[in-house]
Amino acid sequence: MHVEFFGVPRERAGISEMEVQATTLGQLFGALAARIPGLHQFIGADGLHPALAANLNGDRFVRDPETPLAPGDCVLILSADAGG
Amino acid sequence: MFGYHGRYLRVDVSRGKADYVTLDESVLRRFLGGSGLGVHVLLAEGAAAIDPLAPDAAIVFAFSPLVGSPLTTSAKFAVVSRSPLTERVNDSLASSGFAIAGKSCGCDAIVIVGRADKLSVLVIDDGVVDRGVDGGVRLESAEEHRGATCRDTEAALRARLGANFRIASIGPAGEHLVRYATVSHDGRHAGRGGSGAILGAKNIKAIAVRGTQRVEWAHPRAVTELSRDLSKRSLGPATAKYRELGTATNLVTFNRFGALPTRNFQSGTFEEAAALSPEQLGATRAKTRASCVACTIGCEHIYAGVRVEYESLFALGSLCGIGDADAVLQASRRCDELGLDTISTGGTIAFAMECVERGWLDQPWLKFGSADALLRAIELIASREGIGDLLAEGSRRAASVIGHDSIAIAPQVKGLEIPGYEPRALQTMALGFAVGARGADHNRSGAYEIDFSDKVDRRNVTLDAVRHAIETEDKAALMDSLIMCKFLRGVFEDFYAETAAMLHTVTGWDVSADEMRETARGIVAAKRQFNLLAGWTPAEDTLPERFLKTALPNDPVASLSRERLDALVAEYHRQRGW
Repeated sequence: MHVEFFGVPRERAGISEMEVQATTLGQLFGALAARIPGLHQFIGADGLHPALAANLNGDRFVRDPETPLAPGDCVLILSADAGG
Repeated sequence: MFGYHGRYLRVDVSRGKADYVTLDESVLRRFLGGSGLGVHVLLAEGAAAIDPLAPDAAIVFAFSPLVGSPLTTSAKFAVVSRSPLTERVNDSLASSGFAIAGKSCGCDAIVIVGRADKLSVLVIDDGVVDRGVDGGVRLESAEEHRGATCRDTEAALRARLGANFRIASIGPAGEHLVRYATVSHDGRHAGRGGSGAILGAKNIKAIAVRGTQRVEWAHPRAVTELSRDLSKRSLGPATAKYRELGTATNLVTFNRFGALPTRNFQSGTFEEAAALSPEQLGATRAKTRASCVACTIGCEHIYAGVRVEYESLFALGSLCGIGDADAVLQASRRCDELGLDTISTGGTIAFAMECVERGWLDQPWLKFGSADALLRAIELIASREGIGDLLAEGSRRAASVIGHDSIAIAPQVKGLEIPGYEPRALQTMALGFAVGARGADHNRSGAYEIDFSDKVDRRNVTLDAVRHAIETEDKAALMDSLIMCKFLRGVFEDFYAETAAMLHTVTGWDVSADEMRETARGIVAAKRQFNLLAGWTPAEDTLPERFLKTALPNDPVASLSRERLDALVAEYHRQRGW
């Protein structure tokens, strides 16, 4: 599936998007933690740091690692404190 | 009493007279400082019934129990008054040395009433009131600074009075009574609601403070330990966005979610958003970082000498259809120099641009996407020349002159222009805007955080969102009264318990988390009480018709009916017990 980064995750990842194979949100988190060392502080296989948020297809925000993902999904990873 | 002086300094600039007024400990415990204390003092002064630009009107510069302590981000002050833009309560916060120096004058707040007979600087030199007109509190002519920018005024007055004075000043916009003029200090601004116009109406160009009077803390060692711990946490993941990128990074994020107000809220996406991203701003410009006094976060990201914030980028960029980053930076710089609130400036200009587009306003040069038009309009507003005289009144008053039902597209609530959150795409925030005591406001309601979480469906919120909106409003009221920067909010694991501990170490009061929660609600209620006295009616707690009749063109799912908003507002009032 497609992953897009915004805010600090984009800064730390050094890229704005990437493709990842995963069938659950937890798998995706694990893959991101393994592939992007700069995100270690924020992402582990067990979940996201509260400072980050994940959104599925621009529609709903998700945190539960068991959340199923489909191949055509787009997951947005962003700073949770979106305001200011 | 620890943490406080137990009095405020009341200065009548008509009579050149200054007195201390006692503040009981019970009052301070209920209202704390900052916004809360400011509203209490305003109520005591009877300010709700007075035209905010009249001589009798009061404006309060309120400090707080934490000011002067080593607790990070605590060097802040609140400027509180009845707003000339909304005619409702207005509490705007700014940061840095003025807060520390002002409290060191031996008072917990400075209240100014009256009107000086010529443009003046109010000098408060250690707050000693018994030295007469040439002593600790005095007026000096500011005629030589008429028309000067905020920064130039500050520099000139420090050169004249002494480098250890701290200055809050107004720019030309305040002198010309622009209803959204700012009070500025050290490059920061008490930005919203027109505090600068109130000082302008009082013929006060600037307030200069210095002092030597420090308060004692009840538990100094504990204050130091808490401060050390808080500073450490302020450098962790919860504040990374502010340290590494600043709020400017919101723009691209909001654009992706269709929540970036564009061309006067006609769209939630802007095709040139990437040009205004931190990455692009920094690609070809020198970038530096800065922070307020006594702050460990350092959220200020400065590009080519211009401090950049999301709200300025959105208001002067996408809202006016302008993707020329140089022009947006120049517009932001001019607003800061002239003493204009960037949100209301951009909102009012964007509104006028749409009126021109619809043929309701005969100013053909004032077009979406025109950087020249934006810069020209800013200058006209600050000087109140030509069409600027109308736009200086804000979008609500301008709509009443333009007619054609333009009020439906005036981007404001209670007269305050809407910040950079598209209400149809962020509907918990829509509720926060609708019920906000000072109007549409992202600093008094943090409800957007709920929209960016799994707690609600942001484009179709239910009544369950109301309790979340109330929670963010209460926390904001407490932070604005203690005072602490909201960029710290993510570092707290138990917000009310931890803030109670801070207050205890400074004041010695045996406060609990529950008392802090009640205090927060009491401060929100005091603002409502002020508004009731100022003429508030339930009909004000709503949004402009545009948001309630039209779905977002770029995202038809993002639709908010009047019936649903009304239900949310009614539930809000019910849960508040109003």
